[in-house]
Amino acid sequence: MNSQGKFMKRLIWVSAAFFILAVASLLVINQARRSRNEVPVLGQLPDFTFTERSGRPFGLADMKGRINVVDFIFTRCKGPCPIMATKMGELYKLYDSSSRVQFISISVDPEHDSLTVLQAYAERQGVTDNRWVFLHGAIDSVVNLSENGFKIAADDLPGGHTTRFILVDQKGRIRGYYDGLDDASLGIMKTHIRQLAGETP
Amino acid sequence: MHNIEFREFKGGLRGMKRFRHLAFFATLATYFVIFMGGLVRVSGAGLGCPDWPKCFGSWFPPTSLSQLPPEIDPSLFNLTLAWIEYINRLGGMVLGIIILIVMVMAIRHFRKIPRIIIPSLVAALLVAFQGWQGGQVVASELRQLYVSIHMGVAFIIVSLMIYITQQAYYLEYPDDEKNSVYPRGIAIYIGFLWILTFVQIILGTEIRSLLEYMPARFPLLPQSSWLGKVGIISYVHATLGIAITVGAWQIASKIFKESKAVSSLVKQGAAAMLFLAFLQVIIGAVLAIVGLPEVLRIFHLWVASLLIGSLLLLYSAFIQYRRSQ
Repeated sequence: MNSQGKFMKRLIWVSAAFFILAVASLLVINQARRSRNEVPVLGQLPDFTFTERSGRPFGLADMKGRINVVDFIFTRCKGPCPIMATKMGELYKLYDSSSRVQFISISVDPEHDSLTVLQAYAERQGVTDNRWVFLHGAIDSVVNLSENGFKIAADDLPGGHTTRFILVDQKGRIRGYYDGLDDASLGIMKTHIRQLAGETP
Repeated sequence: MHNIEFREFKGGLRGMKRFRHLAFFATLATYFVIFMGGLVRVSGAGLGCPDWPKCFGSWFPPTSLSQLPPEIDPSLFNLTLAWIEYINRLGGMVLGIIILIVMVMAIRHFRKIPRIIIPSLVAALLVAFQGWQGGQVVASELRQLYVSIHMGVAFIIVSLMIYITQQAYYLEYPDDEKNSVYPRGIAIYIGFLWILTFVQIILGTEIRSLLEYMPARFPLLPQSSWLGKVGIISYVHATLGIAITVGAWQIASKIFKESKAVSSLVKQGAAAMLFLAFLQVIIGAVLAIVGLPEVLRIFHLWVASLLIGSLLLLYSAFIQYRRSQ
């Protein structure tokens, strides 16, 4: 092969390498962008059964078919809970035209937060229907669900509970974590709720 | 006819060729990892694995949330970004092993040849440092200075690998530049162009840092208008880019017109230098006109590393020419 032929062969190889790298990186960049915009499926919640303030059992089956916003609270909390409750209350009002979005507050202080206490707390938050539920369960079960289901550390309860709001979809899958004290983060959650509403349940 | 240094080598001609091929492969692998690093940066996957050296507490990125350890914030989990960053780390690790093999071969066969053994040892040390420093980049949550150091070290490693490959080639073919005649002072011109290119890369790094602050400084400004807010530095960068290309054109003309019996290595090096300098100016112009598309940002950085490599190759070739006179 003469030197010009060799040169052409090399040029083709180099151009092919550049082309392949360009196409591959375009695909990767697009996939990365899409992955940031989509609401990822982060994991499946395990089955559980707690008691709702009305006394009826409440478990994973009651979450399915609805978009769920979950938080962990306790009624005696003087720290971030009042702000969390206000934010949750605002969301509860925002989505009052539909029962497709359900709000779930799980007590991390079950010894104190009896069903009666939870009932009174719900009334103080202005809850008038079943769209916002308040759950009571044995502390071991609550810790287990928090750590193994929601993947959130549950040390130093009740005071050290998380301030995150967790978005769970119509199939009981975790779709996002948001700062329950931050409006910007909750703004993203609202966008995600809209996206979940468009998904086939 | 081989020189004294060749006689110091105990592995035979075949072993020498094998070493050169391995060093060349390490050079290609380093360029690939540099490309991957650029890809990690523009795709925003730098914190795809928030811990180091593991990824979400495991040696393989988890595929679902249930595999995360409780101490890791689950909201950080994004499978795509985790895998992009993980492949970059994996590439870096494989490269580390290849460079380690180069070093072991250099110790075994070239320990009396400083121009092979010294860069091989330095490259192995730097690649180990680079692995550790990558962890610092993650721990600092992508601090600008740390990211720039990471890139700078990668450029030094690739330069060392090119140098090792070329010196191994000259051990095998010591007379490669013996019959060539090159214009006087050509190595100085190349050296000067290398320095200009180096300054140009630093300016580019500075511009990139300024661009990354744009969303915070001008939250409503579209990406296509960011470059206009960078200031005079972007004009200096563009002018210097054109000056480097003109310089490369002048040097390549001098090599092809005023030389005799130009070696194949110098021919290819000069052609590559010219092609890459032109390509770099075109990419830069498209970046400015089209509005900084991510894929071109990777190539802008990557072609800069290739250009620096071609200049180093030419400089070493002219030093070899001087030595063989």
